[in-house]
Formats: sequence, structure tokens, C-alpha cells
Amino acid sequence: MRVLIVEDERRLAENIARSLREVAGYAVDLAADGPQGLHLASANPYDLIILDLMLPGFDGRQLLVQLRDSGQQTPVLVLTARDDKESIVTLLNAGADDYLTKPFDLGELLARSKVLIRRAKGHSSPLLTVGDLEINTADRTVRRGGRAITLTAMEYRVLEYLAHRPGAVVAKSELLEHLYDYNWQKFSNVIEVYISGLRRKLNDGSERQLIRTLRNQGYVLQE
Amino acid sequence: MRRNSIQNRLLSAVLLSQTLLTVGLVLTGVAYTYWRLLSTLDNGMQSHALRVAALVRYIDNSNGKVYFDNSLLPPPLDPEHPDLFAVSASRSGLLYRSQDWPQELDLKPGPDLHWNLEHAGVPYHALRLTQVKILDRGQGRSFRPQTLTIVYASPTSHLIQQVKAAGSYIALISLALMIIALGIAFWGVRRGLQPLQTLAAQAGMVSTQNWELSVPPEVEKIEELRPLIESMTQMLERLRRSFDLQRQFLASAAHELKTPVAVLKSTLQQTLQRPRTNQEYEDALENSLEDLGRLEQLLQWMLRLARAEQWAQGALRRDLDIVDLPATWAEAIERAQPLADANRTTILFLGNGQLPFRADPEDLQLVWSNLLENAIRYSPQGSTVEVKLDRNRESFIAEVLDHGVGISANDLPHIFERFYRGDGSRTRSTGGFGLGLAIARALVEAYGGSIQAESQPGQGTRMIVRLPAGPKKISASLENAPLNTAS
Repeated sequence: MRVLIVEDERRLAENIARSLREVAGYAVDLAADGPQGLHLASANPYDLIILDLMLPGFDGRQLLVQLRDSGQQTPVLVLTARDDKESIVTLLNAGADDYLTKPFDLGELLARSKVLIRRAKGHSSPLLTVGDLEINTADRTVRRGGRAITLTAMEYRVLEYLAHRPGAVVAKSELLEHLYDYNWQKFSNVIEVYISGLRRKLNDGSERQLIRTLRNQGYVLQE
Repeated sequence: MRRNSIQNRLLSAVLLSQTLLTVGLVLTGVAYTYWRLLSTLDNGMQSHALRVAALVRYIDNSNGKVYFDNSLLPPPLDPEHPDLFAVSASRSGLLYRSQDWPQELDLKPGPDLHWNLEHAGVPYHALRLTQVKILDRGQGRSFRPQTLTIVYASPTSHLIQQVKAAGSYIALISLALMIIALGIAFWGVRRGLQPLQTLAAQAGMVSTQNWELSVPPEVEKIEELRPLIESMTQMLERLRRSFDLQRQFLASAAHELKTPVAVLKSTLQQTLQRPRTNQEYEDALENSLEDLGRLEQLLQWMLRLARAEQWAQGALRRDLDIVDLPATWAEAIERAQPLADANRTTILFLGNGQLPFRADPEDLQLVWSNLLENAIRYSPQGSTVEVKLDRNRESFIAEVLDHGVGISANDLPHIFERFYRGDGSRTRSTGGFGLGLAIARALVEAYGGSIQAESQPGQGTRMIVRLPAGPKKISASLENAPLNTAS
């Protein structure tokens, strides 16, 4: 998953970013003002945008309106210092999916981020199941047929992304876009390394693989 | 009786005046009745005395001798206390005297006289008539006629009884009238005070949610209540303004404090999310300390602003010394010098002579420093910031001119509002909280001055501060007293 944080308080943005990376295993990009935020949000496929309202350049509300006007469906979590009902209603009506008032709890921010991402992908439970494969997105544990499977951070990211869209063909480029942040050098062959690692760990002895490769198209996670 | 009640005070006044009136009425009535009865009695006694005089006759052929014919005396009116009288003639002497003649009625000869006396426990009124002519002409008179002196006394006990009766009658009527008047007064006072109670009830409904004092028209038109209503309305207006100011301040302060608190909180929570190395903990603590420092700074600025606005509200009643404006400028420029050096900005000061002003030098330096720092921050490197100090008849005028980026027309009307940051990217990066100019304005206004900004975007900004030039005596005392400046 890849998240964009638009926040001009550098330290706050960094803290949220680090927390999302460490605890949720998300790729995170930072924007410090309105124009930069809009540019990044338009240029990259984010799974979530965390948006501060008081921004230099133009403020978060304008950014939100422009995003929604251009047809962007990415869930937006707004950070605001104002907690009066009126401004919150206006925000939600402008296209925000959720809000947190400052000062907020990082744990809550993480939980809400996860909810927004899985809802956008059509899931309401934190538990993703494909056949006898169970992925708990809340504590990032994976089990197959009751057996716990230990994955590396990157393997988990790939599996979680695929598990959010079971049965769909996910292109390698899409995986790259969603698993790495802006500053990362993107080499498509690393994906193949993670996929083969996943296949090996998820193998329960049968011939059939859960992750199948469609040549020149991408990967499918399917029972 | 409660002493601190308008109703009771008014009723006491009415009662007192009514009592005085009643007493006066009774006394006057009694005195008048007594006087009327006495004069009637007097007239009656005179006619009785003349009738007595008619009983004096000349003895025929006696060369003017007289006698008193007491066989013709009328019976006394009051047999218990008969009238007393004595008749004497000028030459023949005493002719007749009533029985039980009291010593008190024996008088030395003299003119006509009225007096009161008491005889045998009974009050009498007496009169003496002299030079009374004898009615009887006498036969063949060839002698000089005699004149009579008559002393006549009548009991006055019935008169006193009448006066007493009249007195008690008047007193009774007055008392009844007084009770009726008191009742009317009580009703009138109650009715008259009713608007006051209405007003109190209305005033009781005023609250921080509802500042409106709605006065019914029938109360508002009462002349005595009008000043009270006016001053209450004015007081409420002042309270409302001050309350709104505080509420706004609290709201914006809370809003502004949330971001630094969020930063600090996120730093700490993020650090605690997983075990860290000592180096990471150390970094986190240092970051937290930094965040805290910023928070503290913001709090200090907010307190300064709150205090300045409070002074401005109360028109700054403090014991202030007289300071020299150029000296406070010199101090502010000295403080701003490191910033100017870092930005390679030159500060030019134009102004000479002493400009005495009653103020706290710290306040003035805060204003000057804010203006200077803004000017330096928005100036391009290598430019100059000019400070001009001048005076006209009524004001001291300080101007700070920079050749920086200027302020956009959109921002210009708002730059003195608290927490207002024009272009966020510019002010946040320069570390401003959007409070400096708000504090400057509050302080300048607290001293009865004004502050304004003129700006051409791209060419620079001119900030103008006007402070009221004090009366001449401040100038005089400045010349005599040593200057109190912060330097």
C-alpha cells in the first residue's frame, strides 16, 4: 500500500510516515504544501491520502475539491485542528472519507488508515481469506490451514496487496507503484524475487500454486 | 421594618409628613377654636358689663351721687359658677361687688385689661372696663357726671371643654385621613416600584448566551429609570465585547496550540511504537524538546498578546515613566542587529532630538522589534530598512520602510489580526506565529496610538505608528529629570 501525506509541519509528517512504514508496512510519500500535494496525488496511484487542512499555497479543502473534481477515488483522511461540527460536515461533503482532530493518537490514525484502505478495496473485515489462506491486516499475521507463516516485510506487502483483490490480475508495474514510495529505485525483477519467496512459504505440498503468473500480464492470487 | 427598602423609606417619609400635618392641623384647629370662643366670650362679657353699668343710677338731688340697683340683677347663667363683677364709680367708689369676691380681682387702678385667673378651682376670664359712662342722666343735672370702672369675670371651663371637643374631633378626622393617605401611598409606591422589578427580572435574564437587555416600553419611558437602563445597556455592551474578545482569543489559541501539541504527541507515540536504540531515543527526546520549545514560545507570545489586549481594553492604567522614543528605537535596533547582519541588511535610523513619551520602554521595544524583524525578514539581502522618527502637533510618528516583497492587497487588511499568516509558506518558514503584528497593534492602541501598513507588492512595505504626543509638562519634566530608558 502506498500513502501520501500532505502536511506542512515537517516533524508531524515525518512521525506519521515513520509510523505507517514501521507498523503498517506502507510506502509513504510526503508533500509539504498544496501544489506539491496535488501534483503527487495526480501523478501516482495512492491507496490513501492523509491531508492537513492548513497548508501553504492552497489549503487542504481546495486540494480535496480538485482531487474529487478530477475523478480521483482515493480515500482521503483529513487532519484538522478545528473540531466544530459545521466544518467537519463541510469537509465530509467536500469528499473527505474520514477526519481526525489534532492532536490525534497515532494508533487511531493507523487503524483508521487501514479501515479506509480495505473499505476502498471492498472489504469490511480486517481478515482477508483466500481459500484456506488467512491474512490478518490488523496484526499482519498470515496463516494457511491454521499454520502460521512467517514472511519478510516486503513479502507481506506483496501478499496483502494481492489478497485485497483476489482473482484479479495485478500487473508487476502496479505492484511496483503501490509498494514503493517516490524515492525508491524501482526494479521489476525484485518483485519476482518476492513472488517466488511467497510461493515457497505458502506451499502446502500440493501442486497447485495460490499465486499464479500470467505471462506479460501479471499475477493472480486465487484458490 | 427593613431599613434598606425604597418602599419602606418612601412610606416612612409619607408617614412622617402626614403625622406633622395632622399635629399641625390639630394644633391650629384647637388654637383657632379657642381664640374664636374666647373673643365671643369677651364680647358677651362686655355686653354683660355694660348691662351692669346700666344698673347704676344717680340718686335724685344728691349732686351726682350714684347707687347700684342690684334688685334688677339677672340670674346667673351657671348657678354653680356665677359670673363675678364689681362696679365702682369715679367719685363714689365701690358700688357693688359679687359675693365670694376673690383677692385676685382687686387690681390697682389702671387702663382696660383682659386676663385669666383661677378662682375656687375654676378657670375664669376677666376684663376691666374703665371710663364707662352712666346711662342714667339724672334730674336737673348740674354736676359733673361720674364714670364707672367695671371688673367682670366669667368662668371658662365650658369654653375649654368645647375646645377639647373640637380638638379631638379634628384629630379623629385627621387620623382617618392619614390612614387613607398612607394606604394610597403604599399602593402608589408599590405601583411606582413595579417597573424596577420588571427591569430586575429582565436584567436577570441576561447571560453569556443572551446579551440583550429587553426593556418593556412602559419601563423604558420612565424618566428616573432611563439613566439606569442606559448605563446597564452600555455596561452590557462593554462586557459583551470583552467577553467576545476573550472567547475569540481562547478559540484561536486552542486552535493554534493543537498543531504543536499534535507534533509533540506524534513524536512520542511514534518512538514508543517499537523498541529503539539509545541513539533513536536520544534523537526523539531532542526532537520533543525542540517541539516543546516552540510550544512554549507560542504560549509566551499568546500571553503577551492577551496582556496587551487587556491593557488596550482598560486604556492602560499603570504607573509609567517618561521614556525617550529615539532611545527605545536605538535599543530595538541594537537587538535586531544580529538578524540584520545575518540577512546582510542595513538599518538606517533617521530622527533627532528627544521625543518624551509616557510608557513602559519594554512595550515600545517589543513593538519596534516586531516591526524591524518583519522588515528584515522580508527584505532582499543587501537592502536597507529605514526607520524614521518625527513628530507633528499631536503625534509622534515612527515609520519602518523596507524594500522587500511587500504584502498582497488580499493580505493587507488582515495582517494585524492575530494568528493571521499571509502566505503560509513564507511565514511558517520564517518561524512566525502570526502574533507579532497583533501584539504590536494591541500595545500601540493601549497607549492611545494607531498603527497602519502601506505596501506595494514587489516594492516594499511601510509601517506607520502614531503615538499621541503628550502635554507640554511631560516635555518640561523630561528636560529636568534624568531619562529613564532601557539602555
